[in-house]
Amino acid sequence: MSASVATTPPVNRAATSRIAISDVRKTFQLKPGQSVTLDGKVSDRIPVLSGVDLDIRQGEFVTIVGPSGSGKSVLLDIIAGLTQPTGGFAAIDGRKVVRPHPETAYVFQQYALFPWRTALQNIEYPLEVRGVGRAERRERAQHFLNLFGLRGFEDRYPSQLSGGMQQRVAIARALATDPQVLLMDEPFAALDAQTRDILQSELLRIWEQIKTTVVFVTHSIDEAIFLADRIVVMTARPARVKESIEVDLPRPRDIEIRNGAAFNAYRARVWDALREEVRKAQRDWALASAYNA
Amino acid sequence: MTLATDKSTDVPPRVWWSRPAFLPSPSFVRQTIHTIGLGLPALLVLALLWELAPRLGWMNAIFFPPLSQVLATLGDMIASGLLFQHIGISLQRAAIGFGLAVVVAIPLGLLMGRYTLFEKLSDFLVQTLRNTSQFALLPVFILVLGIGEASKIAITFYAAVFFLLVNTIVGVKSVDPLHIKAARSMGTSDWDLFRKVILPSAVPSIVAGARLGVKSSLFSVIAAEMLAAQSGIGFLIQNSSLMLETDRMYAGILTLTIIGFLLNYGLVAFEARATRWRASDDKGAV
Repeated sequence: MSASVATTPPVNRAATSRIAISDVRKTFQLKPGQSVTLDGKVSDRIPVLSGVDLDIRQGEFVTIVGPSGSGKSVLLDIIAGLTQPTGGFAAIDGRKVVRPHPETAYVFQQYALFPWRTALQNIEYPLEVRGVGRAERRERAQHFLNLFGLRGFEDRYPSQLSGGMQQRVAIARALATDPQVLLMDEPFAALDAQTRDILQSELLRIWEQIKTTVVFVTHSIDEAIFLADRIVVMTARPARVKESIEVDLPRPRDIEIRNGAAFNAYRARVWDALREEVRKAQRDWALASAYNA
Repeated sequence: MTLATDKSTDVPPRVWWSRPAFLPSPSFVRQTIHTIGLGLPALLVLALLWELAPRLGWMNAIFFPPLSQVLATLGDMIASGLLFQHIGISLQRAAIGFGLAVVVAIPLGLLMGRYTLFEKLSDFLVQTLRNTSQFALLPVFILVLGIGEASKIAITFYAAVFFLLVNTIVGVKSVDPLHIKAARSMGTSDWDLFRKVILPSAVPSIVAGARLGVKSSLFSVIAAEMLAAQSGIGFLIQNSSLMLETDRMYAGILTLTIIGFLLNYGLVAFEARATRWRASDDKGAV
């Protein structure tokens, strides 16, 4: 496996952290002829991340909240090795990420299942491209399919599954390779409220068995608190980490926890940190008419 | 937490009998009967006119023999095996030309659709060739390749290759970028990306192109056989016409119609099968 691992010389960082994000910056270059007005100046570059520092412990469940357009997804893409930062670096187990790391899995808001593959074949995919034999990958895929309560739906195509079931398949696909790091980009945002509640609980139930490191981006404050060991609040664009909030709620967590006083206190705290940033982001978007992209 | 509250995870009901995949669905059968029932009268009127017009002297029976006579000749030709010989030769030529077109167009289309530079280099050439009729080129093929098999295969190839090429390019370009991103995140190599993501994404478009290409190939081989050949359905029709054996000529034309019908039905069925993952009509738990 090591030959395919994205490696450069190890970077010296806190040895306990699984993911180290150090002064990550990302600036998007607009296409020729396009421009934006930022702080009264016309520019063809948009800074999205301006020095993000974050250390994530092994087995930690971190949720990231921030105003729309604050570059949360870009940060995930950088950790995933799908895009390179303009400055700084992201490292997994002390090694800089320069391409998709074999121990990382990514779950997308729009499921991103392959529509020409059945549920089972979708879960088999990452095993297939890793060269796992047919019998073994079938068995593993079946195991994860069952784990998400999808027994009996092996041969359904994604178009024959509900949104909730599609996202279950997508998460099963991500977990099929036993990833050390699970990146989730608003995975439940496209689902209805009830399905969302159910999937949050299901995710926690499974995560408590496998204890992989999770970085979970969301717009929902409740979701962020309910799932997290720690909530990271981002500033408006260009984003940095504004605040890191440890969530000291007992596990395993039941959905009822959201009615408790402790949960409410976290809700107020996260919203306090977020309020000003959302306002800033709205001002930013009010200028969107100047954005000719 | 149990999943019992979530209806969508219910296992689909088991039925004691399920329809094998090769049998058409009941709704399809019903619809087909309906379609034929409504469409048949117009066809019968045409057949009746064909029968009566020469018999009543509205048309010259030498140029326009009655349908019954044509069908009798058709029966004789089937019985003697002559018809199948010609059909076999025509289909073989079309199949070879089409097969070559598939082998050339799909890899080329994958490259042109994926790599912009490759497309820019070749697009102008492709557009020029595509807009040159294969029928206009037939004399060129005959001059260069002779009146043997090569010129016929060349025209069927030419007739199909651009349908396949253009549709492959369109198919590749319509790949969902999210699928590429997901595949990349799972460590897919470039080669696997082509095989396991881009190609299957493009299949519906490629198959639609193939359907057009097959028809175009068949029509072209008929035309080529009319111009220069000693065998094939096209030759049969043309030769019978020259000999004023018009019942044979019409028998040949009817044969061609039937082949076209069957081929189209087969291709539609193949297309439905190749793209069945798109089917949304029997949505399960939603």
